[in-house]
Amino acid sequence: MSMLFRWLIFGFAALLFNFPLLSTLLTSLKSEGEIVSNPSIIIQSPTLANYVKIFEMADRFDILHFLWNSLVISALGAFFALLLAFPAAYVIVRTGFGRNWLLPFVLNLRALPLIIFAIPLYMMFQAVGLLDTLLGLALIMCIINLPLTLALLSSTLRNIPEELDDAARIDGASTISIILRIILPLSVAAIASSSVLGFVYAWNEFLFGLMLTTKSATPITVGASFFFSASGGGVKWGVASAVIMLSLLPPLIVGLLFYRSIGSSLTGGAVKG
Amino acid sequence: MQVSSKEKFWLTAPITFFLLVMLGFPLLLDLIYSVSEVTFENLLAPRLQGFENYFETLQDPTYWDALAFSLKFGLTASLVQLFLALFLAIYLEPLLARHPWLMAVLMAPMMVAPALIGLMYRLILHEFVGVIPYYLWEWVGDSPAFLGTENAFLTVVTIEILQWTPFALLILYTAYRSIPSHLREAARMDGANSLQLLMLVELPYMMPVILLTFFIRFIDSFRVFDNIYVLVGSGAGGTSTSLSIYIYKAFFRGGNIGQAVAASVLLFLAALLLIALLERFSRRMETT
Repeated sequence: MSMLFRWLIFGFAALLFNFPLLSTLLTSLKSEGEIVSNPSIIIQSPTLANYVKIFEMADRFDILHFLWNSLVISALGAFFALLLAFPAAYVIVRTGFGRNWLLPFVLNLRALPLIIFAIPLYMMFQAVGLLDTLLGLALIMCIINLPLTLALLSSTLRNIPEELDDAARIDGASTISIILRIILPLSVAAIASSSVLGFVYAWNEFLFGLMLTTKSATPITVGASFFFSASGGGVKWGVASAVIMLSLLPPLIVGLLFYRSIGSSLTGGAVKG
Repeated sequence: MQVSSKEKFWLTAPITFFLLVMLGFPLLLDLIYSVSEVTFENLLAPRLQGFENYFETLQDPTYWDALAFSLKFGLTASLVQLFLALFLAIYLEPLLARHPWLMAVLMAPMMVAPALIGLMYRLILHEFVGVIPYYLWEWVGDSPAFLGTENAFLTVVTIEILQWTPFALLILYTAYRSIPSHLREAARMDGANSLQLLMLVELPYMMPVILLTFFIRFIDSFRVFDNIYVLVGSGAGGTSTSLSIYIYKAFFRGGNIGQAVAASVLLFLAALLLIALLERFSRRMETT
């Protein structure tokens, strides 16, 4: 009996939290005519026409271009963060060097609203030609991802026994080869979950995408919002919903596939950060 | 220790250099521009002029409105999220423990960009084609202007809460699950009932994580930008201008660089203060 109530509460919460997603999905499957005549949650004649229409209007609204931008930016952003954080995490954990300045500084970035740096970054990007480039945005995503990536890596490395390093060193291995041959293979799980989280965070970023791009490097979150203003006259709600659904799919799929590791890393990172 | 100091340097140099260039230098620029007379024309040669920009920002009623909005938004959103998530985490624990995949269903909104959620609500709340106004007309015979001056705050704060309660839920659920079972057993032995167990054992045990969750959610909600920006812009009469939106607008729309930068520096100082508090708090948690 009490389990039944729990199911009810769960169902209610799940519906409430996911309501915008479900409602947008339903709208995207309605014809433009039905949307106007029937805003309810019942679809009279489901259709995929809206999804087809997105690709027919590629000359005005090139969704594949925006999706590609987001893919590159998010993948690079996650990769850069790993590249910078991994050697630093090794030094911090094994030698204590940077434990009192680098580690807390990076972890506290989580609490700093990055808009503080947005205006000077805009000027710097303009000066060096990074404005409206994929590389420029990927560098920003790297800043965003660093705190969690470093937190995850250093807590993982802390659990790798130091005896492994020592044994390799006796065999004459250099620090670099210890990192690459011993530590790296043992941190695959942490690398995977920071990549997933970094990818999701970067994909969902909006503010810097809005400020630092105009056209060629625009990510999908910003591109989708263009659609609302660019469709001329009234917004085509059906197509707009289909655009939103396609835009949210990649991080949603990745996130749900790895939801277990996301859960534990997010709590781990949050509790440490 | 056999990592040489040269190696220590070279292995941490990339991240340090990156942080200096991407955050250190921008902060320096922020500080310089904030005490300069600066326009888009003289960006490379700003004229120092003292604290004029700060005075102007601090005398701007819109700035104070934005600050008040962000504080109110951050506090409301984080507190509601916290209580909602705490209830769900504890009440649903037996269910979620038996069927872990249910958590994935609750986590889905966390994977979606806040900007896209904002766009979704533009449709959902639309007075003619939106599903919520439709059902309100059907059932109640009336539908409020969700994004009008009176309701904008309530609308956007609700959207924020519904998207991010899962985040708090996830952290609190994990914390609740990690309470050692011997604590519960000992309390039961002493004759504690469920309510006493919750109030005297479980909640105190979870308190550090509860406070931390509150901090994280407050910070994230305080700096809100995406969903409000796509949903209402700055709102009817600027009623939903958060501090982030204020800075963005001062710079991009108003071309008021000095004021935007001064507001950024003030925000930086406030964030530092909060971080210092957090550090002190977490240190105290570690020692107790």
